[in-house]
Amino acid sequence: MAEEKTYNKPLPDFRPETKPYWEGAKNHALVLPRSKETGKFFFYPRAMSPGEDMSENIEWVKASGKGKVWTYAIHHMGPSKAYKGDPPYVVALIELEEGVKMMSNVIDVDPHDVYIGMEVEVVYDDVTDEVTLPKFKPVK
Amino acid sequence: MASDIPGTKEAREVLKKNKIVIAGVGETDQGKIPDRSSFHFLSQASKLAIEDAGIKKSDVDGLVTAFSLVEHTFMHCTTFADYFGMKPKFFSSVAVGGATAVWMAAEAAMAIASGQAEVVLCVRGDNTLSGISSSGMLALIREMCHGEFEFPYGLTTPGGYALAAQRYLHDYGATREQLAAVAVTMRKHAALKENAMNKDPLTIEDVISSRIIAEPLTKYDCSIISDGGAAFIVTTEDKAKELGIENDLAYLLGMGQGYSHQYMTTLENLDQIYNAINRSGQKAFQTAGLGVSDVDLAYLYDCFTITVLLELEGLGFVPKGEGGSFALEGRMEIGKDLPVNTHGGLLSQAHLGAMHHVVEATLQLRGDAGPRQVGDAEVALVHGNGGIVSAHSTILLGKEPLS
Repeated sequence: MAEEKTYNKPLPDFRPETKPYWEGAKNHALVLPRSKETGKFFFYPRAMSPGEDMSENIEWVKASGKGKVWTYAIHHMGPSKAYKGDPPYVVALIELEEGVKMMSNVIDVDPHDVYIGMEVEVVYDDVTDEVTLPKFKPVK
Repeated sequence: MASDIPGTKEAREVLKKNKIVIAGVGETDQGKIPDRSSFHFLSQASKLAIEDAGIKKSDVDGLVTAFSLVEHTFMHCTTFADYFGMKPKFFSSVAVGGATAVWMAAEAAMAIASGQAEVVLCVRGDNTLSGISSSGMLALIREMCHGEFEFPYGLTTPGGYALAAQRYLHDYGATREQLAAVAVTMRKHAALKENAMNKDPLTIEDVISSRIIAEPLTKYDCSIISDGGAAFIVTTEDKAKELGIENDLAYLLGMGQGYSHQYMTTLENLDQIYNAINRSGQKAFQTAGLGVSDVDLAYLYDCFTITVLLELEGLGFVPKGEGGSFALEGRMEIGKDLPVNTHGGLLSQAHLGAMHHVVEATLQLRGDAGPRQVGDAEVALVHGNGGIVSAHSTILLGKEPLS
């Protein structure tokens, strides 16, 4: 019997320019924007490179999906009732191998076992039929 | 930071020539006051500041307001001008989060120095505690983080500060007790402030054992939410004399801003935050020709305990990583090395951005701080922080004008 999936938590406020990122996630790939002019990655995705180049010439590059926890906060309260039953959960800033940071959850681990510098890798949480959130779990 | 920041010499000349002052202050009741609207608080606070200055409402020709978290308006300053019944020649709404109140004073000074107005009312008021809906609170949390790349992961505002706190504890080997000590000092000061919301004694153990919100922060590491209003009047020494204002004047000696990031995602390291705080402070210090050792009182933005430590260190009062022991040793208390937030701050008095910080600094310099009075206070620093330790503003106020 198919389980009816209900997801009441906030979904991303999409901007048109981030479509490749979310399409990548849906296909279970973490793709990061990089300025073709400077060769520099940046995150979060934007329509224009935030560097001095101000380039709109952006390529989307598949990331290794590996990184380290730069910092984390164990949430004992969520932002709304939709998070009931979730706490404690970990919101972390992950320093990716590509040199940029992204925010995500560290899952599949006791929150109190998470530490700064912990090696993590991306996993994909298909929260709805349309939206997949890249999350991270400890590298075994 | 030893190098000269461009523009400070020019700013000094402007402040010296105009002798910008805070000439009147007002604070309404603070706490849970369910029957008053945001605009009611704004009106009451304005009236109190006008009365404190001993001037007429019609003497005010400039208006700086901020925003309301409850009643959203596209043009906040003119919406209030209409409600209050005034026709300002200069009007502006400042909206840089917790950096707002401090920058309202700067905005008023710049307006006066450029001839836009002579007597500027700066006012904030809100019924945040009683009036905000759960959807309004959620919208506020959402606005504090990136709606696309942060909010879907369940980040809260305390969670954002917990990210900074966790990294701080890691980088400097600081302790939970040290963070908690900030809340304890604020509570001691609030006990001496007539309109403070939370006055019950608080111990380090109380802070650490209170409800965990976002580790490493607990309930008492987080500021309170309150209803209330506060206002201050900015003018020049000459105009104050002309209007017959009898209050001692608090002179604006310097001002500055510093920007680090908007979203935690784009924060490279803690130094980025320190540098923004330092830039904000140094701009004000260099304009005033003063240094940290000249500051008698510090009003630091204490939305969370961690913020106070980052600001103490970023402004240069103590070296990086040493704010915690400074707090734990009680050196921020009235009568000690550097009294911080003698009114109890956002952690215990009330939360209206840094409005009360500016008001209290003025009262102290005037000698009107009652049981909290720090006798020989001549120079006060006020620092505001908006976002998640993102946007900073600093002013220096003094008993005497720049010479």
